[in-house]
Amino acid sequence: MTPASSIGAAVADGLVREAAWRQRRIIKWVVITAICLFVLWLAAWRIGLNFVSMLRGLPHMADVFMRMVPPDFGYMERLIDPTIETIQIAVWGTLLAVIASAPLCLLAAHNTTPHPVIYSITRVFLNLLRSINELIYALILVSAVGLGPYPGVLAIALHATGMLAKFVAEEIEHVNRGPIEALQAAGAGRMQIILMGILPQVLPSLVGYILYRFDVSIRSATVLGLVGAGGLGFSLITTMKMFRYHETAASIVMIILLIMLADWISGRLQKRIL
Amino acid sequence: MYMEKEAALNVAKSSPHETSGQPIISIRNVGKTYANGSVVALSNASFDVQRGEFVVILGPSGAGKSTLLRCVNRLAEPTQGKIFLDGKEITENARELREVRRHIGMVFQHFNLVPRLSVLMNVLSGRLSYRSTWRSFFYSFTKEDRAIALECLEMVALGHKAFQRASTLSGGEQQRVAIARALAQKPTVILADEPVASLDPKIARQVLTYLKEVTHSLGISVICNLHQIDFAREYADRIVGLCDGEKIFDGKASELTDNILKKIYRLNAEDDSDASE
Repeated sequence: MTPASSIGAAVADGLVREAAWRQRRIIKWVVITAICLFVLWLAAWRIGLNFVSMLRGLPHMADVFMRMVPPDFGYMERLIDPTIETIQIAVWGTLLAVIASAPLCLLAAHNTTPHPVIYSITRVFLNLLRSINELIYALILVSAVGLGPYPGVLAIALHATGMLAKFVAEEIEHVNRGPIEALQAAGAGRMQIILMGILPQVLPSLVGYILYRFDVSIRSATVLGLVGAGGLGFSLITTMKMFRYHETAASIVMIILLIMLADWISGRLQKRIL
Repeated sequence: MYMEKEAALNVAKSSPHETSGQPIISIRNVGKTYANGSVVALSNASFDVQRGEFVVILGPSGAGKSTLLRCVNRLAEPTQGKIFLDGKEITENARELREVRRHIGMVFQHFNLVPRLSVLMNVLSGRLSYRSTWRSFFYSFTKEDRAIALECLEMVALGHKAFQRASTLSGGEQQRVAIARALAQKPTVILADEPVASLDPKIARQVLTYLKEVTHSLGISVICNLHQIDFAREYADRIVGLCDGEKIFDGKASELTDNILKKIYRLNAEDDSDASE
């Protein structure tokens, strides 16, 4: 047992050190906050963000908005085809991505990759795929293969592959090792271990990611038309360029409805499957 | 039908050395050193396991029990020594690893079932080494395999739970499924690494009884790691005492005196509080 007197001395000493530690912490946080505020102010100044110009812009916003209401609901009938096309682009874009990412996610997970070098190459490749926005892919692909929904499908597939394969690879890496070891011990081969040990473990999150990605694909597909890659975005940009704001508004309403629908469907599916 | 096939296979395998005295497993001077030679998990362990024998490896945590078992089916590679399965050295050739592992079932402390698969599928995974990869792609097993799996489930009295998800079973039941999975390999040896360490004493006894009775009736040898002395005494045909990676006892349960136990668990004057179980 430590004698009572020396405990008292230790506590007194501890209190002194605690006060110094608290002071250092406060100073640290003051400095960090100041730096953050400065960076934010610099950014706002650089891009001309200020209250006055925002207020001055309000009447213009109101003007455009007034020209949009009421939306031309009669025009919505002519939006049905582009809407279906948007969904079709999203479905096929996502499906192609699922197919492409099946082998890629295995190469990009350190516990299933055949070689560390292949692992690194695949990871870099997936990051490249993911770092480019769908609109940019679409812009390039439209000039390569021409206008229409086809470049839209490819654009979504490319971006979605990067995302799906990376997420699923991460999921594979966090799989419980125990069952894998048991299958190894039973003499199962690599592919058998993947099918019987890994796939069942990642299945719920795999389905979740695919549904989430479908949701994202729908959103992306609605704007791909802006660069001529099919779908609702094309109506949006053409009506806008012809100053038919009531029809633009109808397109926006359609997009909102579509996204709500996609949200609802993927939510229902997710609940049923998991 | 599969029984005949298996029997024929066994005869073909064992005919060159029919002598009943031939041990099924021979461990010769096996050692394992981890991490650039600094940690010695196991050193110079030697002993034999006879056909149908239930051998318990007894020792405190960190004695090298787990390492020893893992060297036998080469989940860990021994850094010295040799291991023979049925007279054939298995520590040499990496190509035949799957073939070797097929004959050695394993049961783990944490059961290691795939929780989302059905009980039957988990047992069927014990048959994977007999089947081709392309067949596994469709999760299809032969009628023969399914019959074997169901039979093994019956042996641990869990046939009625075949189509439930493994995760819905209790710990004791999961370990029995894991035993059935090992049995489905039609093994000659089962390695059990602390099979009852995460079960309460009553369930633990039940699981060990299943393991002992089923393997006894099928003539399968068992090497079972335990840290509970009473279980070791109750179930072992033979006990191997391990401490600090070295074998310090090898004999019948009745020969396991208090003095030897003190040596295994290092119950010396200084550190008896943390070593007792």
